Amino acid sequence: MIAPIKDIVQAERARNTSFNEASARTRLALLLDGGSLVEFIGPEAREVSPHLKTFDLPEQYDDGIIVGHGRLEGAPVFVAAQEGRFMGGAFGEVHGAKLTGLLHAARRIGSIPVLILFDTGGVRLQEANAGELAIAEIMRAMIEARAAGVKVIGLIGGRSGCYGGGGLIAGCCSALAVSEPGRIAVSGPEVIETNRGVEEFDSRDRALVWRTMGGKHRRLLGAADVFADDTVQDFREAALELLELLGPVGTFGLDRLKAEHERLAERLRRFGRCEDAVDIWTAEGVAHAATVPELPADQFIALANRIGRTSRDAR
Amino acid sequence: MTSWQNNRAVRDARIAAGAGLARGKVVEAHDVTRLLEAVIRPGDRVCLEGDNQKQADLLSRALLAVDLSKVNDLHMVQSGVVLPEHLDLFDRGVAKRLDYAYSGPQSARIARMLFGGKIELGAVHTYLELFARYFIDLTPHVALIAAVSADREGNLYTGPNTEDTPTVVEATAFKDGVVIAQVNEIVETVPRVDIPADRVHFIVKADKPFFVEPLFTRDPAAITEGQILTAMLAIKGVYAPYGVQRLNHGIGFSTAAIELLLPTFGERLGLKGRIATHFALNPHPALIPAIESGWVRQIHSFGSEVGMDDYIRARSDVYFTGPDGSLRSNRALCQTAGLYACDMFIGSTLQIDLQGNSSTVTTSRIAGFGGAPNMGADARGRRHPSESWLKAGAEADPDSPAPLRRGRKLVVQIGETFGDRNVPLFVEKLDAIELAEKLNLELAPVMIYGDDVTHIVTEEGVANLLLCRTAQEREQAIRGVAGYTDVGRRRDRNMVAHLRERGVIRRAEDLGINPLDADRSLLAARSIKDLVRWSGGLYAPPSKFRNW
Repeated sequence: MIAPIKDIVQAERARNTSFNEASARTRLALLLDGGSLVEFIGPEAREVSPHLKTFDLPEQYDDGIIVGHGRLEGAPVFVAAQEGRFMGGAFGEVHGAKLTGLLHAARRIGSIPVLILFDTGGVRLQEANAGELAIAEIMRAMIEARAAGVKVIGLIGGRSGCYGGGGLIAGCCSALAVSEPGRIAVSGPEVIETNRGVEEFDSRDRALVWRTMGGKHRRLLGAADVFADDTVQDFREAALELLELLGPVGTFGLDRLKAEHERLAERLRRFGRCEDAVDIWTAEGVAHAATVPELPADQFIALANRIGRTSRDAR
Repeated sequence: MTSWQNNRAVRDARIAAGAGLARGKVVEAHDVTRLLEAVIRPGDRVCLEGDNQKQADLLSRALLAVDLSKVNDLHMVQSGVVLPEHLDLFDRGVAKRLDYAYSGPQSARIARMLFGGKIELGAVHTYLELFARYFIDLTPHVALIAAVSADREGNLYTGPNTEDTPTVVEATAFKDGVVIAQVNEIVETVPRVDIPADRVHFIVKADKPFFVEPLFTRDPAAITEGQILTAMLAIKGVYAPYGVQRLNHGIGFSTAAIELLLPTFGERLGLKGRIATHFALNPHPALIPAIESGWVRQIHSFGSEVGMDDYIRARSDVYFTGPDGSLRSNRALCQTAGLYACDMFIGSTLQIDLQGNSSTVTTSRIAGFGGAPNMGADARGRRHPSESWLKAGAEADPDSPAPLRRGRKLVVQIGETFGDRNVPLFVEKLDAIELAEKLNLELAPVMIYGDDVTHIVTEEGVANLLLCRTAQEREQAIRGVAGYTDVGRRRDRNMVAHLRERGVIRRAEDLGINPLDADRSLLAARSIKDLVRWSGGLYAPPSKFRNW
């Protein structure tokens, strides 16, 4: 056998690996401390979707999500990673139950944070009822975990983005990190176009899609707390930064939810009349707002840190 | 007395009939259909400019709207049948007969219309063939062309997408035909004169710029590891041993992968300056990293590519540009360059049979071949030697005395054994043959004939058909790189092993390539954004390719 060209240490691989391109397993392997992942209900358990067979669709032994625990700079974390390449990372019954179970475990222990690597188009249409229920169960489990003092951090930079119920769940996290290719929204571009017409939203205008739903816009709006460059190492550092930023989490309860609602209402008051994301950035005082999509990561991060609207009291 | 200038008189009469609608040469957009009714006569040969990229879309809509009692039964002689309107013409009865070269997006509908007898087919040509016939027996009576701008006299600037226009105009204007141009704008002075005014009879200002399809942009993000492995095999198994410097690439992902591996894998093999220095090629964005790394000395182009204008302008050492600084493309000349001045063509196809014949035609789709058959054919008229050409010639015919031995152009078919949607690349019988039987064609629409193909590269290895001495060896060499397709599984194990010993088949390990190295990290650019970065911000990709 001829020796492989690349035989390099984990951190370097993490720096050279695009988070966007990597599989869910590669993301976890490089994001966590080397070899620390312990998977719950792994592929060997063959816990597959009970519904896909009906539609003659292929199953996956992990149902498109990996859940488990590992270490981040030595500290224990719970992790979940969706595989965007299996049915667009969509939530089905088993897929959803694995994440719900992980959040229940986190709530019970109370002190170990949860990282969720979203990569999803939303609910799996073939198991719509089970999938919708799963979204509700996950949201409840997440709120309960947070109320018990657990930090839940979402990392968003996969090819399928974070759409549908995934967008709702992300909205319930303690904090989010997002990269440029990552997108966060509930209705996807095609859904909006189908329901409201191409004049309302042209789903094939990808520049429009990205400046409306993409990572940079979400960061500038304050929907995401940290902007990561598209490498697994950057997401690892973003996760560490967020864990530090959140510090010892204050009580998560009604007051904080009210503050979050007020933050969102204020956002709507300020930007509700804007026709396009560029108008919002201009209103935020960004000079040459139209060039934001072209900014390299370091310059964008500096800009976002200057004007990004995040609030430690809300969320 | 016999008159020898009848055609000129007819041409003048056509122009006189249209002149009433024009101020000088300029006709308003809303009068175009009336202009066409005045100028075009039933049964005329008409070239409606459209190729695989730019489209005279306003003129095609206007032609579709003509009064059928005035204009009907036209014989369309055009390189591309690409817009729905091109086929609507036949549905409505405006046109009856068709000679063409390429029909990418309309390939399914054109097949249905041919089966239904809606279209009387002359032939499916290559670009160069159709252009040649413009000068012999398919000369247009009227040419409807597209340009970027015109001045009041009718001088045209055709811009980076000059493409077919000079050839179409040459054939029409110098043989008593009428040339009508749609332009995006009318200006005081055109940036450069691509078509002189005395060859242009009418100008129409279009309400919006002519449509151009970004056909040659391959998103690096979609390149698979299988394609990367195949590309590595091609570089190390074909480019390197023959020292191929002058070449043409097809538009598939496998060749895009090669372009993106030159500055990484190619560099590591020490091949810079030794291979891939001169191209007949559209401005592929995927070639930007190789250009920026100093691999590529010169590129002549068939057409342009959306978003590449500023980059090309800033890299005039590499591309052909006019005095205004923008690209000057020319399909006919670039096709000639590809045929005679290139040592290699490498491209993908949909089906390859046991003789090495290949075709992109399937029973439900007739895509036409555009330029591939000329690029992918040995030029029997070639007389100048090169290292690669002589070496290939010697491999094919080791026994002839060297001074009398023809060289060979390398014609390489590259692809994965299972292509898009897991359809096998290799077949026992081409769909094209079935189609020819169904349509009663004298010739099956074969894209590249097996006797022109010199190498087939798949993820399973490189088959060198030059070294095959019998039809049986050839068949087994093809089966030997056909992997787990039915064709591959029916190979003769012993014979394939023997061919491998002789170097007819070379697998990854024979070439010192570790398949585990076929990793996306080996690509010089892994996304469209990376290409923008490589170009220093000069490449402006169209919105459909963005993910930012």
